Amino acid sequence: MYFLLLDNRCYQVPNTPRRVMVDVAVIGAGQTKYGNHPLGLKAMWAEAAANAFNSVDNNFEANLVDEAFIGSVAFGGGQLGNTAAILTEHSGMKGCSVRRVENACASSGFALRDAMMAIKSGEADIVVAGGIEKMNDLSAERKRYWLGVSGDTEWERLAGLTFPGTYALMARRHFHEYGSNHDDLVNISVKNHMHGFENEFAHIRKEVSFEKAASGFMVADPLTLYDCCPTSDGASCVILAADHVVREFTDDPIWLKGSGAGSDHLALHDRHSITQMSATQKAVAQAYKSSGVAARDIDLAEVHDCFTIAELMATEDLGFANRGEGGLFARQGRGIRNEGDVAINPSGGLKSKGHPLGATGTGQAVEIFKQLKGTVEAPRQIRDAEIGLTHNVGGSGATCAVHIFGRDR
Amino acid sequence: MMDEKTIVWKGYLACIGEDSCIVQSPWYLGEDCVFGADSDYTTLAIAAIQLLQSKGIQIDSINALNDVEALIINMATGVEVMQTTTDDSEELSAEWDLCISDDARLVVCKTDCDVELWEPEGGLDVDEEFHQKMTSAWEKECLPEHVSQGAYVSQQQYEEGAAARLKLMSQKVDGELIWPPRQMDEKGNPMPQASTPLQGIATIESWTKLAAAGAPSEFSIRAPLLGGITTAFVRFEQGPRGVFLLVDDEDNNPKIEDQVQFAIRRIYAQEGYIRYGLKCQIIRD
Repeated sequence: MYFLLLDNRCYQVPNTPRRVMVDVAVIGAGQTKYGNHPLGLKAMWAEAAANAFNSVDNNFEANLVDEAFIGSVAFGGGQLGNTAAILTEHSGMKGCSVRRVENACASSGFALRDAMMAIKSGEADIVVAGGIEKMNDLSAERKRYWLGVSGDTEWERLAGLTFPGTYALMARRHFHEYGSNHDDLVNISVKNHMHGFENEFAHIRKEVSFEKAASGFMVADPLTLYDCCPTSDGASCVILAADHVVREFTDDPIWLKGSGAGSDHLALHDRHSITQMSATQKAVAQAYKSSGVAARDIDLAEVHDCFTIAELMATEDLGFANRGEGGLFARQGRGIRNEGDVAINPSGGLKSKGHPLGATGTGQAVEIFKQLKGTVEAPRQIRDAEIGLTHNVGGSGATCAVHIFGRDR
Repeated sequence: MMDEKTIVWKGYLACIGEDSCIVQSPWYLGEDCVFGADSDYTTLAIAAIQLLQSKGIQIDSINALNDVEALIINMATGVEVMQTTTDDSEELSAEWDLCISDDARLVVCKTDCDVELWEPEGGLDVDEEFHQKMTSAWEKECLPEHVSQGAYVSQQQYEEGAAARLKLMSQKVDGELIWPPRQMDEKGNPMPQASTPLQGIATIESWTKLAAAGAPSEFSIRAPLLGGITTAFVRFEQGPRGVFLLVDDEDNNPKIEDQVQFAIRRIYAQEGYIRYGLKCQIIRD
């Protein structure tokens, strides 16, 4: 206890307990179905939040939330300012400290990291991290604009590039440097569609054959329609709790074992290499170090496959495949659930589950939470899953957040 | 005295004399010389001045009518453009004249110089329907009220980067060239002014052709006519890399390791202001 003198009045102030090394657990997680969502923003967020609240084993009330971090690219400018407060206001969290987190497609990956840090700082015990995007109610022109605002406007955009174009440049260069080829990308597409087929929350629940995926409409040479994720509406919400309050809510928490984040140049031409992402490499190194696990320990990973080449490169950057062997990894089926080394995108990934920009990062965490809790319906459940990873990339690799979750603390 | 030999220069046809040069579009609609998909008098004028400059001819200022963008020519070539609304010689004070024709050709010459007519070789036929649609598309795009849903590069921001965009000006730091320019180094120190031009040769490291539906929305009027737009990722001989559209929005697919050179062309227009920039052109044997 100490005393604070303000305006000639003396206030008693309790010492804030400073906890060192607070562990953070996920006690609940939920999302909407991704796709062309019939609901508006507030209702979508409320649905995701309600699913998260209801997933907590013991009773949970919205007004318990100390802080909220909500990722969004601002859904077509519909509510550009105070985006987050309007959502918490309509989901029972009125009055909590809230803010929007924006890092393009990695917005909610960073919201999750900020939420974790809020708890680790000792300032909050229960924190919500989430994300939301809704763009399918926009005109085609307006949608294309919002999809393009996160790239390098001054140089890349003036050279005619959108994200399909930047990832196409990466793909062609990877083919050239390492001998990978479009068939490798097709294998990734087929796998993710197969994984997402049974996912009730997925945007595109459709299996595709190798032949069909290989002959898709060319979007940005060499990437075809089947190499590109859809633009989805959706919201996702994850509830984090400090270790000293976890048991009030569940006896079976999923621990957030590690987190890492990094950034890089927005424009490809400023980067050291366009066939790897240094933001991912930095983020995952930090996450492995803070969690004490290695790539070989990961049972399942939700990887940012906005384009199939992004997954191929990520398998290398995350350490699942050797440098230049991401194509071989895909060809050998080493990312197929319950068959390969590590289940890559058991939800279907962005390719099949969908990509509601700001909601994607915490949506990945929802999948990992359910998988590690063992509550995913067969045949999607990964057998004996103990450790999962999420990998959320902003734009063409300017930002990246990686998180590692485990059943053990 | 003009050399009758046709030069292919910056994607145009040209001939040069001691104190003059003629530059024109390679495209023909019947007998008429017409602009290509991304050219106008400003891009022709820049090419003409650069051709003379490449021969060691110094041009400080030039007289021109209002058919060209004086600021863009100045930023691209360093030549001051003395503009007038009439061809009244009393208003004109520079030693050089920029004379435009009523088709897609122009002359840059000394004020007292007589320029001979010249028939170039290597003209190409353009499809009439394509030409008409492209002309209409640009007219629509250049209207002051045209504001695309595309990313917004303000006039101020555009002009701030113009030296790098139009002249490939780079920053020299410890012998290394940095392009496009950056603000601060890793120690937080301000970077030097961009004053060292990159040489205009680069090698393609990757490329893509975006379908019209996938092109940025600021290209949405013209991309369908072009069947998509092609972008090359290149490395300059001095090290820096960059991304550039292909000159004339060429239909040819590039190859990795192809060498390219650069020419200034129209990129897009918004709010009545045309953004010009360098595009790359594959160097064919």
